[in-house]
Amino acid sequence: MKPIYQVLLVNLFIWGGIFYYLLRLESKIRRLEKP
Amino acid sequence: MIARIILGLWLTAVIFGAFFFAPPAEKLGELSRIIYFHVPVAWCAVMAFFWSMIQSALHLKDRKPERDIAAESAAAIGLTFCILATVSGMIFAKATWGAYWNWDPRETSVFILLLIYLAYFALRMAVDDDERRARLSAVYSILAFMSVPFLVFIIPRVYFSLHPSPMTPQNGKLGIDHRMLIVLLSSLAGFTGLFIWIQNLTVRLGVLTRRSEEENA
Repeated sequence: MKPIYQVLLVNLFIWGGIFYYLLRLESKIRRLEKP
Repeated sequence: MIARIILGLWLTAVIFGAFFFAPPAEKLGELSRIIYFHVPVAWCAVMAFFWSMIQSALHLKDRKPERDIAAESAAAIGLTFCILATVSGMIFAKATWGAYWNWDPRETSVFILLLIYLAYFALRMAVDDDERRARLSAVYSILAFMSVPFLVFIIPRVYFSLHPSPMTPQNGKLGIDHRMLIVLLSSLAGFTGLFIWIQNLTVRLGVLTRRSEEENA
């Protein structure tokens, strides 16, 4: 695989992971905020 | 939820744009693609420090604990983004000039900025009383932000620096390809959205933590 595609995949993996973490954190916070 | 999905799709588009739509810069080549990360995180760091100052000033005015939580969160996010900007700059420096660190005016000023905001957290950890900690760190945050324009915008432009020069209009034109500008501005917008989201989450988490500490006390 060309290096540019490898770097792209790594980027997508990292950012996908960050987004997944933030979405999970948000859903946990919403559950805790409910009375 | 829709906003988060749009943000996710926006940043995905920015990543693809940074690799395939924007051309490499004239002198820097493919290395220049790091600017689509480096510049937005640096910008977000400045925004975060500014927001911390605003929340600190508001806290001194109305003494609401939520303001202190917001100020601390913004400072933490700003510090994180500042470290990311420094690290990405170091990667670029190694690839371009053969050394991670050169004590360049830009590098030195960002190092000083990191120390200033690390001291903010050292101050917070040193004070036990909640109200006193909030007041002292609010004053410090306001004073700390006074240094940001000098360290980020003025000093690196006064002295000769290895850091690539900023885009300034010459003869009515910006010295940057329009495709690079589109991706850069899109990346700035995306990272701004990311900062707003992270700040919102950390403030809500801080409020919940403080509420639970008060209930358990």
